[in-house]
Amino acid sequence: MRNNVRSPIERWLPRLFKLAFLLVLCAGAWQCRNGWPVSGNLMDLVPQAGKDATRQLAEARIQEPLSRQIIALVAARSGGDAVVPARQLAQRWTDGGLFSTVQVELEVDLAALRAQLGAGRLAMLPAADRRQLETDPAAYAQRRARELSDPFSSSGLMPVDQDWLGLTRRAEQALNPGGAVQYDVRTGTLQAEHAGRRWVLVRAETRDSAFESGTPQRIAAQLERDRRFLDADGADLLVAGGPLYAAAGRAQAMAESSWIGTGAAIGIVLLLLLALRRARALLAFVPVAVGLLTGAVACIAVFGSIHVLTLVIGASLIGVAVDFPLHWLGKSYGMADWQAWPALRRVLPGLTISLAASLVGYIALAFTPFPALTQTAVFSAAGLLGAYACTVCQFPAWMQGWRPRPWEPLLRFATAALRLRERLTASRSALWLGALALAAAAAGGISRLGIQDDLRQWLSLPAPLVQQARQIGEITGFVPTSQFFLVRAPDADELLRRQARVSQALDGLVQRGELAAYSTLSQLVSPAADQKALGRELAASAAQPDVWKPITDLGIPYEALRQELQSLAALPAVTIDGALQGQQAERWRPLWLGIHDGQAAGMVTLLGLRNAAALDAVAGTVPGVTLVDRSGELNRMFAATRIEAAELKLLSYAAAAVLLLLTLGRAAAWRILAVPLAATACSLAALGYLGQPLTLFSLFGLLLVSAIGVDYAIFMYERIAGAPASLVGILLSAATTLLSFGLLALSHTPALANFGLAVALGVAFSLLWAPWIRSPAETAQQPSFNH
Amino acid sequence: MKRLPMLAARLCAMLALALLSWNAGAFELADLQKQLRAAPVVRGHFVQQKFLRSLPQPLTSRGDFTLAAGKGLLWLLRTPIAQDLRIDASGISRRDETGKWQALPQRAGAGRENQLFLSVLAGDTTGLQENFDLELSGEPNAWQLALTPKSALLRQIFDIIRIDGSTLVDRIELRETQGDRSVLQMTDAVAGQALTDEEQRAFAD
Repeated sequence: MRNNVRSPIERWLPRLFKLAFLLVLCAGAWQCRNGWPVSGNLMDLVPQAGKDATRQLAEARIQEPLSRQIIALVAARSGGDAVVPARQLAQRWTDGGLFSTVQVELEVDLAALRAQLGAGRLAMLPAADRRQLETDPAAYAQRRARELSDPFSSSGLMPVDQDWLGLTRRAEQALNPGGAVQYDVRTGTLQAEHAGRRWVLVRAETRDSAFESGTPQRIAAQLERDRRFLDADGADLLVAGGPLYAAAGRAQAMAESSWIGTGAAIGIVLLLLLALRRARALLAFVPVAVGLLTGAVACIAVFGSIHVLTLVIGASLIGVAVDFPLHWLGKSYGMADWQAWPALRRVLPGLTISLAASLVGYIALAFTPFPALTQTAVFSAAGLLGAYACTVCQFPAWMQGWRPRPWEPLLRFATAALRLRERLTASRSALWLGALALAAAAAGGISRLGIQDDLRQWLSLPAPLVQQARQIGEITGFVPTSQFFLVRAPDADELLRRQARVSQALDGLVQRGELAAYSTLSQLVSPAADQKALGRELAASAAQPDVWKPITDLGIPYEALRQELQSLAALPAVTIDGALQGQQAERWRPLWLGIHDGQAAGMVTLLGLRNAAALDAVAGTVPGVTLVDRSGELNRMFAATRIEAAELKLLSYAAAAVLLLLTLGRAAAWRILAVPLAATACSLAALGYLGQPLTLFSLFGLLLVSAIGVDYAIFMYERIAGAPASLVGILLSAATTLLSFGLLALSHTPALANFGLAVALGVAFSLLWAPWIRSPAETAQQPSFNH
Repeated sequence: MKRLPMLAARLCAMLALALLSWNAGAFELADLQKQLRAAPVVRGHFVQQKFLRSLPQPLTSRGDFTLAAGKGLLWLLRTPIAQDLRIDASGISRRDETGKWQALPQRAGAGRENQLFLSVLAGDTTGLQENFDLELSGEPNAWQLALTPKSALLRQIFDIIRIDGSTLVDRIELRETQGDRSVLQMTDAVAGQALTDEEQRAFAD
């Protein structure tokens, strides 16, 4: 038989493949030189915000503490003192070596703080005091005199004779963080009282950006031990922080990808053994493994790392990649003299077209702005290419001389199913009626379909973590808001003035209870020009002893006061950078973005926002102010991407149509396309009836469905080795796909479950509709493409 | 969080007034505590002097005080300016021109101090001992109590608080690390049994 002779190409292919795969392996090993390049950072999956460098810097500043910081609160269950257990916790954290900084006690450098307050006594003066000094200095003098004679508020950090006017005292007040968290002098710790219990605050920062390495797991383990220790001491622990979410998300994604992978693999092994009844058929897993590896290597090569979400979806790709060897091995059901290379030659065109159709679908996805989809697309496309290459180049060499042992009942089932289908189509009117009923049902389901996208669907946090974060927010009053203002101005002084105007507007929101608090640089430092002006004015008032009479009446010599007033004119202005020195400015330090391209930029951050709608008005009233609303932006982007994905889907249909038209002809093209179209419509309807929302991920799943549908349709259309054998082939591949994606539908991450469900439904419907395709033999005696 | 010195000053004043109600024979801290609630009301005059390194003369203020167990403290400043202050569980208030009590702008953390103050008033010396090393010496009718702050931070602000007493507390001195010191002298302090109507009104609203 001529077919048995291997062509030179067929002799070379396995060697070429092995060489190429070796290269892929080397690339993979090199990529892993610094540990597994697996990322759990949700933000990696979200589009970057614009090209604006200042804005990117601002967002990075907002993100930074979220990804590294951990906040713990410790309280004794008895309601007593929890400082000792909190210190022990901090000690364990320091000893554990996971954190770069652990802070339970604030080291207050009083000398440095005094120097800072002294130099900044004009710069850091709160706006209200500044106004009073400018407009009614006599009233200020009276207030100061009362203060000096009141033993409960006469002294401040500065000795009285170094600051007769008490300016540093007010500057010191401005530094008060407010909120429920207070400094406890006795122990040097930060504490918050809530519902009769005192919570001691412990803060830590992870050594690496917590999303990137194995750190999250170790932190989670550490916290587990801490909880046991504290429990034994009769203390409660609450913890929150980005690294914990990353740990939880990663652990869950890893666990899911492994059990989905294992589940799918076991199912497929059983299926292979049952259908082909030869141990060597298990080699069909080799293309799958090659595909997964190629996908991961390609993904890391393009993006620098692979996200856990991609890994989970990747695990389900097993079910698609195994289709290539299955279609080929499945032909043994129709070919009595199945032999490796000849059989491959006959299925090769079909395999290639189905690969091309899938690639078209995936490549379309790569153009959406969501890295989540792009990554999955690159992973899947490369993975399929790898699996295809392995099936075509290497697999036949291994399977030479292999004699399949088809399981007859399966073939009989396929034949019976096809015969049933024939009988159903016997009556034209019944067929039309059925089609109409189906269309009506589909329309009904689709009309029920709700559209919903939310970043929270991408991450399923364990309830205890969410609960603790909420409790910490309640106790500390620290509920960060994702929205913030980016303020820009030609120079630093103008920036501070604009920020002060934003503050005024925000004060209104605070009064109405729509906002808990905010941080702005103008709280910490006033414009340099204003500092100098105030200094000059106060120096001038040294010539008016009447103004300061209330203070001199206390027995303070006028000469001492005069000297201080005059020295204020010479006090050097404090810049933003200067004011941000020292520990007391910690809260404001991230707000200053510096001067870029001749523009000074700073942020105004918000805490405990209750009415986001009010912010737009604030941004509109002051020039140079932008409201950065990442979550709102993401939601808009979700909507835009959904439309884009739908358009891409149509485009991929068009591309597939052209591809089919060119290879199989017009009659074939529309028949083949009808299968994925019908399957997609039915899946959408089913999602609607099931009450599942249509998300970006389910749209993506349906995109995959169209590729699978085309795939099945091609095999059923070509009917190599007969219709029943082809049906067995797609039955097997549908079973494997259903296994993997069906398992994905059980994922705890809503986005993944949604995706899995969409694909599982789509595959089931594709399997249902593919056999209805009429073969070329039935339509006309046109020769099949692959002969 | 940086209001330590004010805290120190306030703590000092609070301690002083709390100790006013400690009885003379109290040589043991436990005895002091036991006798703390013996006098429900203590009234007297005060002279507060602040000695600053840069001034030859101290800054001096005078007035009257009323300490009522379980209610709080009235601190009625007479010279050089008149000012009525009240300290109770809710914080510090000042009587304004119309006679209404206005809460002085207080930092949120003062709750802890007030709590400490009130625990002292209630005769709970454990609160004191948490914050200070206490050293009692002398005779029942001429005793001295030295309080050294335990916290490293407070030690950066003041060295020691010295309290001299005979039947009641006579004098409180606070030495700051920077060289300044405050002296609070109580004169004519007498224990009473009940508040006057006016005092009751002052504590009422």
